[in-house]
Amino acid sequence: MAGFPGAHAERSDADYVVVGAPLDRSTTYQPGTRFGPRRIRAVAESFEDYDHHTDSRFTALDVHDHGDVHPGGDVEEYLTFLEGVVGDADRDGAVPLLLGGEHTVTVAAVRALEPDVFVCLDAHLDLREEFGGDPYSHSTVTRHALSVAEEAVILGARAGSKREWERTAAADVTVVPPEEVPDWDPAFDREVYLSVDIDAADPGFAPGTGTLEPFGLDPATMERVVRTVAPQAVGADVVEVNDQDDDQAAVLGAKLARSVVFAHADARTYR
Amino acid sequence: MAKEQNEVRDLDEGSYVMMDETPCKITSYSTAKPGKHGSAKARIEGKGVFDSKKRSLSQPVDAKVWVPIIERKQGQVVNVEDDEIQVMDLDTYETFVMVSPDDVNLSPDDDIEFLEYEGQRKIV
Repeated sequence: MAGFPGAHAERSDADYVVVGAPLDRSTTYQPGTRFGPRRIRAVAESFEDYDHHTDSRFTALDVHDHGDVHPGGDVEEYLTFLEGVVGDADRDGAVPLLLGGEHTVTVAAVRALEPDVFVCLDAHLDLREEFGGDPYSHSTVTRHALSVAEEAVILGARAGSKREWERTAAADVTVVPPEEVPDWDPAFDREVYLSVDIDAADPGFAPGTGTLEPFGLDPATMERVVRTVAPQAVGADVVEVNDQDDDQAAVLGAKLARSVVFAHADARTYR
Repeated sequence: MAKEQNEVRDLDEGSYVMMDETPCKITSYSTAKPGKHGSAKARIEGKGVFDSKKRSLSQPVDAKVWVPIIERKQGQVVNVEDDEIQVMDLDTYETFVMVSPDDVNLSPDDDIEFLEYEGQRKIV
């Protein structure tokens, strides 16, 4: 498997560790997230090494690609494994960056990194306790995150069950609807985990995802959020990318993943 | 023989394994696959039996690992002085000195159980 383009650092020197997590099990509509990490890496081949926002080169930022960690039969056991891989990167002083895979993989990273705040770009609230009897359905991710983080901020959410919307009334959940995301000002001074569910984007921009939801965000707005939040991030992910389009979802996901690295590294340089 | 070889697949939470040449008790065991046609990999997290340091190991399930043979023994406290206790091994009647754990209060004649591995001991 070819690694993430430009991720040439040795593991021991890495400031950022990319981990592919191609879990594809609970997707409710359109499967294919098992191909997400592969597509994201493939489309990133075409990107310029240089980022003019930060005046830096991706190849100079010490990114290492751990490769993909494939699921076995038991999701909970897989999440424990993934939690260990992500935790190792964190203990070694690197920022882990997961490439999904369905959104469930985020649970492993949040458990490993124990952030104060869970910030998520997502069309869906993901606050279910279970879906179809599955407590690890991709629609339960924010609820799992809240068992670790103090609060969750869901940007671009526009879909959920009645019970999920009722759950958002509690003080530990903030929902920013799509039309308010461009003006959202995070003002965090705490540790954040940043999760990018590609379905936060309007399906017109990223049709290659499991559960399409119209009236979503435009890519520039998502990039602004990512670059704003990344400096505070102890870890991040790009999830729910599949292979059911002409790589629109993958190319947006790959660009956002790189934006996390550029913005985080830039803030670290000037801190 | 203070250790034996086993396959990673035979390990489980609660059992012992050598990590960084140190006997560790396994606190977490999980598996995943590295990729196409790769055999499953196991990830083991453990805690040093005698130094309580966390360690981890990631190996294919069919890889060989060393498992320490840790003896569980009975002893009797002979004397307590500050944080040191003198203990008699009730099998061999050998006496030795060890540091008293912070969380137990021992007096002479108390019976204890301890783990022993290559001269290292720990009260359980």
